Amino acid sequence: MASRKSFGRDNGLQARMLLTIFLLGLVYALLVAVLIAAGAGAVTIAIVAAGLFAVQLFTSDKIALASMGARAVTPQEAPQLHAMVDRLCVQANIPKPRVAIAQTPMPNAFAVGRSPKTATVCATTGILQLLEPAELEAVLGHEITHVVNRDVVVMTIASFFASIAAFITQFGFLFGGGFGGNNRNNSNNNGFFVVILVSAAVYVISFLLLQALSRYREFAADRGSAIITGRPSALISALLKIDGGMARIPQRDLRAASSELAAFYIFPPKAKQGLTNLFSTHPPLSARIERLERLEAQLQGTT
Amino acid sequence: MGRRKLAQPAPDRLFAMSTAYVTMETSMGLTSRGAAAIVFQPLATADFDSIVREMEEVVRATASDSGTTVTSSDDPYGFRWLLLRGSDFDDLVVGINAVSSALEAGGYGDRVLCSVFAFDDERSKRPVYWIYNYKRGAFYPFAPAAGAEQRDNERELVLKAQIGKELPVEQELERWFPLWGTPI
Repeated sequence: MASRKSFGRDNGLQARMLLTIFLLGLVYALLVAVLIAAGAGAVTIAIVAAGLFAVQLFTSDKIALASMGARAVTPQEAPQLHAMVDRLCVQANIPKPRVAIAQTPMPNAFAVGRSPKTATVCATTGILQLLEPAELEAVLGHEITHVVNRDVVVMTIASFFASIAAFITQFGFLFGGGFGGNNRNNSNNNGFFVVILVSAAVYVISFLLLQALSRYREFAADRGSAIITGRPSALISALLKIDGGMARIPQRDLRAASSELAAFYIFPPKAKQGLTNLFSTHPPLSARIERLERLEAQLQGTT
Repeated sequence: MGRRKLAQPAPDRLFAMSTAYVTMETSMGLTSRGAAAIVFQPLATADFDSIVREMEEVVRATASDSGTTVTSSDDPYGFRWLLLRGSDFDDLVVGINAVSSALEAGGYGDRVLCSVFAFDDERSKRPVYWIYNYKRGAFYPFAPAAGAEQRDNERELVLKAQIGKELPVEQELERWFPLWGTPI
């Protein structure tokens, strides 16, 4: 359902996206349940579902760009950004996507679009100011890998199949002889609620699997960036800056830090990730950095 | 971690720098600037003063054979730097260790902040420092970049990857505190 592959963890945005995606899918599932209860035939339901899916596939990228306030920029307007995208596309061997900039201080970058030909890569003004050129190029490399891997399409199809799973469950219950065979009318009400419950449960499980798939594809995009740019450490450095948390390489002088015992003896415990990871579309920062460090060590021949 | 006692310095791991330097010179494009320093927080006691003076004598005595010189200076944070300069890199390592040992023997091990080894980076044409944190027993790279209080994080991460297991490297990046305005 995610029509956007974005770069960093913007917690507020992520929470809203997650909720939207979840509710959207639930609406899909419930809509079909309602259609079935209303006596719509399988063909009608299939047409409606396919129609909605097609609409989503073809318009979601425009909606995503509009929601971020992203504006396409010409090479004259953003020469350095375009030059970077040019270089990356030559390396990745894909046609150059459109380039857009979103006016927001939140540092982030994302890619939308079904295929390299129809894709747009967007960077926020926040990220353009925050990162060094090599770091920005690494981030764009990550986004371009999403385009190459057709992640938007893959995730949309995967989420569609998740909805299909829910539909099949509903069909299975109503037509698979679960409620006294031919005599549907008697047990219609109870049956209806059970169908809703089970298809929602199936949907939740599919949703969690989708999140896992999304996280895997984020690792793949990190790896792709490292391969395209040949500079995995630039990506690590960018990730640390964007995250803006405790993990980053400090600016504070050692002498200033040592005056507080905390700097040496009691370090704030790393926040427990645990359950939140199930629902996250991105893997935890430490896992991403660990993999990138391994790639760098391989590159340097020191593994 | 909840430790109440201040950690004592771990000098034995410092010596890894001697062997690691060979790798740095041959395959990492780093050449010693012929300077190293040990940074400590002086105490305003006569006892501490005499230990420091004694220690400077010891270092001067051992260092003079190889032409290593010793100077000291205080920085704006109130820390004292003992600066060792000489062309023999191993002597620098030995000299630094002599100082930290003397301080530890005098019971002032916890006053030692770190030691610093200075290198010229062939690739970036800028100095690169390997800082040794005695309390953590680990090294980390520090590559100041152009501009006020700028550092090249990417270069530092690459250096970490390149040195591999040759040096005990600080794994927690959030402990890679810089030393702005290093005098070596």
